[in-house]
Amino acid sequence: MNPYLPVLFIFVFGAVFGTIMSLLAKFLGPRKASAVKQQVFECGVSGDDTRVRMSVKFYMTAILFILFDIETIFLFLWARTFQTLGWFGFGEIMVFMAILLVGYIYVVKSGALEWD
Amino acid sequence: MGLDQGPWLMPLAISIVKFMVLFVVLLQLPPILIWLERRAPALMQRRRGPNRVGLFKWRLWGLLQTLADAIKLIFKEESVPASAHKLLFQLAPVLGLIPALLVMASIPLGPDLLIAGQRISLNIVRLNIGFLFILAISSIAVYSVTLSGWASNNKFALLGSMRASAQMISYEISLGLSLVPMVLIYGSFDLYDIVNGQVQLWAWGIFLAPLSFVLFLICMFAETNRAPFDLAEGESELVAGFHVEFGSTKFALFYLSEYINMFALSLLCAIFFFGGWQIPFVSHEQLQQLLASQNLASLCGLAVLLIKAAFFMWLYIWVRWTIPRFRYDQLMTLGWKFMLPLGLVNVMVTALVLTTRF
Amino acid sequence: METLAIFYTLAALVILCSLMVITLRNAVTSAVFLIADLFLLAALYAQMGADFIAGIQVLVYAGAIVVLFLFVIMLLNYTPGHREEQGEGGHLERAFGAGLLALVAGLSVVLACSSKFSLVLPHAFPFADSGDNTYQLGVALFEKYLWPFELSSLLILLAIVASIFIAKKKPPYEGKRQ
Repeated sequence: MNPYLPVLFIFVFGAVFGTIMSLLAKFLGPRKASAVKQQVFECGVSGDDTRVRMSVKFYMTAILFILFDIETIFLFLWARTFQTLGWFGFGEIMVFMAILLVGYIYVVKSGALEWD
Repeated sequence: MGLDQGPWLMPLAISIVKFMVLFVVLLQLPPILIWLERRAPALMQRRRGPNRVGLFKWRLWGLLQTLADAIKLIFKEESVPASAHKLLFQLAPVLGLIPALLVMASIPLGPDLLIAGQRISLNIVRLNIGFLFILAISSIAVYSVTLSGWASNNKFALLGSMRASAQMISYEISLGLSLVPMVLIYGSFDLYDIVNGQVQLWAWGIFLAPLSFVLFLICMFAETNRAPFDLAEGESELVAGFHVEFGSTKFALFYLSEYINMFALSLLCAIFFFGGWQIPFVSHEQLQQLLASQNLASLCGLAVLLIKAAFFMWLYIWVRWTIPRFRYDQLMTLGWKFMLPLGLVNVMVTALVLTTRF
Repeated sequence: METLAIFYTLAALVILCSLMVITLRNAVTSAVFLIADLFLLAALYAQMGADFIAGIQVLVYAGAIVVLFLFVIMLLNYTPGHREEQGEGGHLERAFGAGLLALVAGLSVVLACSSKFSLVLPHAFPFADSGDNTYQLGVALFEKYLWPFELSSLLILLAIVASIFIAKKKPPYEGKRQ
């Protein structure tokens, strides 16, 4: 059997079940919509500009996440082959990490990780 | 592993049956856990907690309270904000459920069963890349949080969702890094191999990689947005965070995925660091001889794994009522300035020790 | 035969999702289709037997890069209501787009008609049929492709420094921080 067949099934099942569940409320619950009820839940202080501008910090976090994610993947690949490669692989990954460590130190020094 | 291997209809049917059983069990999780989550703090704070709802004269320690809650949730009116993005508002809870189910399905729950001459493995999805699949799929779960906040068109929801997703991605790296030593030690991505490498008590992950365990444990709480890292839904400042606009069955779906994720991470913690279904000092073969049945031994393994996972579920609740909430800058500092370097050092030290031993 | 059917179904879905990404007006829904797009590409890799690449595709592209896109969309506070102010783009841009599309379509037709094109899929991934291709990929990367691997760390370093340099420039809306 193609090992991805169950993945596909669970994917479809989750989508169908989730959709049915979230549509169920439409049929079972009462339906008395009103303008006030359909306001967003902001404790009555809702302004016009609801989609506020986000801090640039989130962008920084996302960028650093991608870069370190890639590093983690290389580490995983190395960890899998590590028993064959031995010291050679160890030295290789040390060079790799040392270069990235420079980047990490730069990130910390630049204050990009400070959330005030 | 080639892709087209022999017959597919029967294996698929078995997988589907296994998944349906698993799913029915998973549906029981939220009611029991919510009940526990209300009774346990009551115990800790010397009050009673919900104990009224019962059947006729039997109160059953209020166990039926959550059943009543579930029925109430389903029959509630669903209110969608007029300014919400309707499609994404519908999509967001579903996007959270699918990864949760896929992660759950790829965790092995015990040694194989033997039914009518067929080996039935106690997991559903088993791929070449092993637990990398779990990491990959759980990285998709961020979108449920991000999109639900954006689709609600609510300041608090959006801020909560941004915080929650930034938190989730920050700790995802530490989570991955904490698992690299596991691959180094057991030499495989396959969770079966990792459990089989932990037959001896001294070979358990917690003894061979204690720092990994600490990092993984912290990430467990952060990834599920649970206390003390639950500031994405800090009630005092953000109402309820990203799911504030979601009511009725959609709210139930968020709850379901959250508890499935908690359960999955508890299981993974037991598998990586506490020997999975291995019982200390008794190997699976010995147990098989003792019980004179492979199935009984396997079910014993399943029970042991569930007990181990149950401890971590309890830990989730315990910690929630013990440790106060972090501040957001503290959370990010912890993730990026302590966990990340510690994770890297952990990988290096483990590799160094292993290479010198070869 | 089945593999071919799966391939073409997935390929058609990828193209469909890509079209949705570039035609939808709302940036967030575009991003959602981009997730689906990248996910389907991962399925395509998995179907070719490149499990590890498929996993990375989901982990990095579908799971990380689109998060960045979404954060940037929210950072720029882009809402569908703003599109009237943005304008539609001039005739020159449209002509350029149409020309590119025609070029790609023409090339595809030429390729399809040439004798080199066949409906049978080649084994795109050299390790597809071996037992554990993640392991072999690792050995290949760390032994044969040692220098590219080490150079990739420099690339990542460059990306880290550059992204921080760009973000550190004080934006004009600094006072309006959340």
